[in-house]
This record gives sequence, C-alpha cells and structure tokens, in this order.
Amino acid sequence: MDGAPPILEVQDLVVEYLTSQGPVRAVDHVDLSVAPGEFVAIVGESGCGKSTLLFAIARLLSPPAEVAHGSIRFAGRDMVGLSERDLRWVRWRDCSIVMQSAMNALNPVLTIGAQLEDAIAAHEAGPVGVRRRRAAEVLRLVSVDPVHLHSYPHQLSGGMRQRAMIAMALVFAPQLVIMDEPTSALDVVAQRSLMTQVRELQRRLGFAVLFVTHDMSLVSRFSDRLAIMYAGQLVELGATREVFENPRHPYTTGLLQAFPALRGPRRRILGIPGSPPDLRSPPSGCRFHPRCSHATDRCVSEPPAWHAPAARDVVLCHLYDPRSTVNGRQIV
Amino acid sequence: MAVRSSSARAGDVRAGPATPILEAAGLCKHFRIGGLASRRWLHAVDDVDLAIGEREIVALVGESGSGKSTLARLLAMLHRPTGGEIRFHGRSLGRVRGRGDVLAYRRRVQMVFQDPYSSLNPVYPASHGVVRALALHRPEIDRRTRTAYAERILESVGLTPPGELMRSYPYELSGGQRQRFGIAQALACGPEMILADEPVSMLDVSIRIGVLNLIADLRSREGVSFLYITHDIGSARYIADRLLVMYAGHVVETGPVDDVLEHPRHPYTQLLLSAVPDPGAPLETLPPTDAGEPPRLVDPGAGCRFRARCPYAVQDCAEVTPRLRPMRPDHAAACHVARSEVLDDG
Repeated sequence: MDGAPPILEVQDLVVEYLTSQGPVRAVDHVDLSVAPGEFVAIVGESGCGKSTLLFAIARLLSPPAEVAHGSIRFAGRDMVGLSERDLRWVRWRDCSIVMQSAMNALNPVLTIGAQLEDAIAAHEAGPVGVRRRRAAEVLRLVSVDPVHLHSYPHQLSGGMRQRAMIAMALVFAPQLVIMDEPTSALDVVAQRSLMTQVRELQRRLGFAVLFVTHDMSLVSRFSDRLAIMYAGQLVELGATREVFENPRHPYTTGLLQAFPALRGPRRRILGIPGSPPDLRSPPSGCRFHPRCSHATDRCVSEPPAWHAPAARDVVLCHLYDPRSTVNGRQIV
Repeated sequence: MAVRSSSARAGDVRAGPATPILEAAGLCKHFRIGGLASRRWLHAVDDVDLAIGEREIVALVGESGSGKSTLARLLAMLHRPTGGEIRFHGRSLGRVRGRGDVLAYRRRVQMVFQDPYSSLNPVYPASHGVVRALALHRPEIDRRTRTAYAERILESVGLTPPGELMRSYPYELSGGQRQRFGIAQALACGPEMILADEPVSMLDVSIRIGVLNLIADLRSREGVSFLYITHDIGSARYIADRLLVMYAGHVVETGPVDDVLEHPRHPYTQLLLSAVPDPGAPLETLPPTDAGEPPRLVDPGAGCRFRARCPYAVQDCAEVTPRLRPMRPDHAAACHVARSEVLDDG
C-alpha cells in the first residue's frame, strides 16, 4: 500500500503438501502485503488454504507442508530463511498468533498467570514481580479481571479464554498479530464484543492484524482491507467497504449473497452451486469456473490474470480483462 | 410458506399451532453436578413450554450453554426430564415405555446432529445409517427394494448420483454431503418431525444455504415439521415460521419470526439482534451492554437470569422469575419491564 513500507510482504508464495500422489498445492502464488497498523482480513471456505497461508507466514508449517516458492518478509527480515534460533526472538515478541480454539491452545493444568509469565520469561530476563505486574496489565487490557491470573482455563468462559489468548499475544506490544478464526467458537454477542475490543486495542497500540475467517460479515465493520481466497489462490483484494459495495469476483458476489438477511424481504437464496474443488486435482483454467454462472470457454482453458477494475481493488477473473467481451459487450 | 393456523388467541401465552404434534409443558432438566452426594444442580432447561405444529418450522435460538441442545435431546427422548411433560399427539411421553413404544416414537421424531464429521460411523459406508433405519423402522419395505428406496431418499436430499454415493465412505464426502446424509438418515424413518441441532453451523458458508433450502423443501414436499436449533438468527428467519429465544434454560421470547425480529421485547433478544454483524449497517459506536458474564446455572434461585446483563433491570428482576406474558398478538416475552401491547390477563 501507499505510504509506510509494509510490515509484512508475501511475494509469490507457494506452499505444497507432499503426498504419496505428488505435491498438493494449498497456497498458490499468493501476493499480500500488510501495512503497519493495518487490519487485513482473509476470507475463504475451509480447505481454501487460508490457515496454511497463516502458518507459512508464522513459520509454523510442519512436514509434509513446505514453502516451495516465494518469499515472506516481515519487518525487513526474510522469514523463510530465518534460523530456529532467530525465529524464537521474532515470534511472540514482534509477531504473535492467536489460534482458533482457545480451549486447546491454553494449557489446562497451568493457571492463566503461569502461562503468561512463562511467555514473558522466555523473552525477557527480569524479576518475578515485574512479570506478574505485566501479566496483570495485559489481562486488564482485554477487560479480564486480574484475579483470573490464578484461574485455570476450565474456570473461564469461552469468551474469557479467547480474551486471555489475545492478552498473551499482546504481552510484548507486537507489530503484527495473526488471528486464525479467533471468534468461531463464540456466540454472536461474545463475538462482537471481542471484535470491538481487538479493533480498539489495535487503534491504541498500533499493531497490524492479519485476520482469517470464513464469515465475511464478521469483518465487514472491522477490517481495512479484505482478501478473498478460493482453492489456494487469492481471487480478490480490495478495501473492505469497496468489496462489500462492489464485489467483483463472481465468488465474492456469491459469498455475499449466501447470507440470509435479517431485514428486507424474505426471498429464496441459491448460494453458490457445487462444492469447493479438490486441491489434488484443481479444475483447469479458472478454478472457480465449474461453479461460476459467468464462465466462458476461456475460463475453462486459460487461467485468469490479475486485473484492476478500481484503484484499490484487484481481481483474478477474465471478466475484468479490459480486452475481453462477453456476449458482445464489455463488462467492465 | 406452509399453511399455518392462526387460531391462537392473543391471550394464549403458548401462542402456537392449534393442533400441535409435539408439545412440552413446564419441561425441566436439572443435572446433578459434583458426585452423587452433591446437592448442587445445574438447571439446563427450566420450565419450558413449547408447541410445534404440523408442517411447521420452529427455530430455537440462544447462545452456547443456553440449553438449546438439552431441550432437543429431551424431546428426542435421549434425556429423561426432571420435571414437566412432553406430549406427542396429545399422548404423554411419560407413558411411553418398552422398546417397541420407544422405537415407534423415534421413528416419528428424528434427530439431526450438529457435527457431520463425527455423527457418521467412519467404518461403514455413509449410507449405512439410511439402510439401517429402513431395516429397523420400515418393515413394510422388503429387503430387495430397500436399496432402491434408499437411493430415492438420497436423491431427495440432493445426493446425486445416488448409486455411486451409496457406496462412498464418510471420508470421501464433503461436509455438506455428510450433513445431507445425516438428514437422509432421519428421513429414512418417514418421520413427522425432525429435531435439527445446529445442522449447518459446521458447514461452509457457500453450502449452508443449500442445506437450509433442503429443510424448507422437505417441509413443503414431505410435510415434515422441524425444530431448527441455531445461533444464527439470519438463517432462523430464512426458514422458520416461529422463533423461540432461549437464555440460561428459560424461553425468554416466542412469536412469529418476523414479529419477534421487528419488535423484540426481551432485552436479551434486543442484544442478540444488535450483535448480528450486518454489512449494510453504518459504522457506529456499539452500546456497552454486552460486557456481561454468562449466567449462573448452578442453583440459580429466583429472579430473571438476564438481570446482571440487563440495562433495564429493576428490583423485581432479582426476586421474581418472570414468566412469559403476551406482548403482541401471538408474541410473548418473559420480562418484568417490557411493555405489553395486548391485554395482559396474566
């Protein structure tokens, strides 16, 4: 983006899972950058590669997954080539991660306080008193009473556990916080209050957020930019408002229409026909063509290129090729 | 839209169909916690009245832990109630005893579970449940025509080509296909009512709507009634006729879906509605009412269970448990503060 150099820059990233039937490409030539203090959301269905992308960025991939191509630069450092030892310094202190299920991510036999202090001690030498104070401070930051430093995970509600996870991620004022569906286990009321809080903390502390979700409406009011992923590829990237108001890719349009509305007339929604492709043998040409109502012969044979129908919106679709015409008329 | 009876009087608190298939009155389920000698009880479902009519889809919404699933399990006879009564076609389930009677009830009232990944047996083909249900519950279909019948069921829930899918194992199927198998399994018995416990919440956004459409179609085509449990109010509005809102084991509001959504009376319903992400809504600051804690369900005592989170709580709320009162025609809420628009004879 314009202005400050990006805190995170992913270029032409390819992640493959090595299977007995050959490599399966879960992330296919993805380019993405996140500016300091920006909130970028990645939206996609299960199996589209969004979590693999996050794991690659955080260097959490384990075999059989591996980065086959491309680079990931975080705060000027090349993450792909970083040694385990250097990685330990970057992780958590500069770039932290909030996992999907707080239930499994917290250690059930240690108190919240012990886990927080453990993380602090791993990165900073210092007296116990300072660590305790710091732990209490971050818990207060996410509106959890510091008495819960002495609580075990099972004594907290789902929302509080997820808040505790976020507190842990914020313990060192990181530059980037990666969140993998942190609210999917919560009900709508807890979900909204958590999202509001993340947004507010972000404004106050200035960290950037890379947020993965399958629920597009959840991030509609919180993210600056939105990236739509389908079958391992980014298919649309733009300012959140713009994507919601003028969705370009047929998949984005389909996703937006797949939610029954709370207001307005009740009408039958058809959603997107078919189901997501098997990444072991993705469809030829555009990967969305078997489910797309605009598909032409060209979509079957030729993979689409990136087109920029608007200043800040890019889309991977033949419909927006300035040279292409459909039914004799220009679409764009 | 199905034909719905509108003969329920405004004063009738249970505002529902005139001839319900499945009814519950004062239904309670309290779990003893902390060992046999313990005197502590968790009130999962407390004093719930409900009625589901013929060809009706009733949506049950509430947050996790509000007792929605326990209520469905009570209705499916998977739990025994600790109080109250369930009536099926007017006959109390308390009198349903013996394997034959229980089987007959299960044939007519089926359940579909939330997680299509763990509710199908991985070592059998996914169609095993369908064939098994036919063998157990439909003796009139003889063995030779059973496969053909099962294929017809698969086709009716959108599992095509049925011949091929009859042989596939759960691991070969997508989440949406598995959930369709779950529904096919329930349909195989030829039920009058399906209790669907969050049938779409584990599915991807783009295939959710297909399963919801299937539920709506089954109601109009096969005349099956549904209790649709969800925490997604948008989808409840999409397919249901009536809405029940549960909070901490109580039904706090009930009425026709659109009326409840347009004129929510209970503060919890209002909070729930305001929390639904709405991409079209303008960005505004959000009201600070949602910082509350989950309610106490272990020996909760008297009083409204929402009072700690309620912006309108008065003294009465801490002392008297509110009961459902009529608020608008067919529409009731359990709140001391909410203002009724119809004559309150309670």
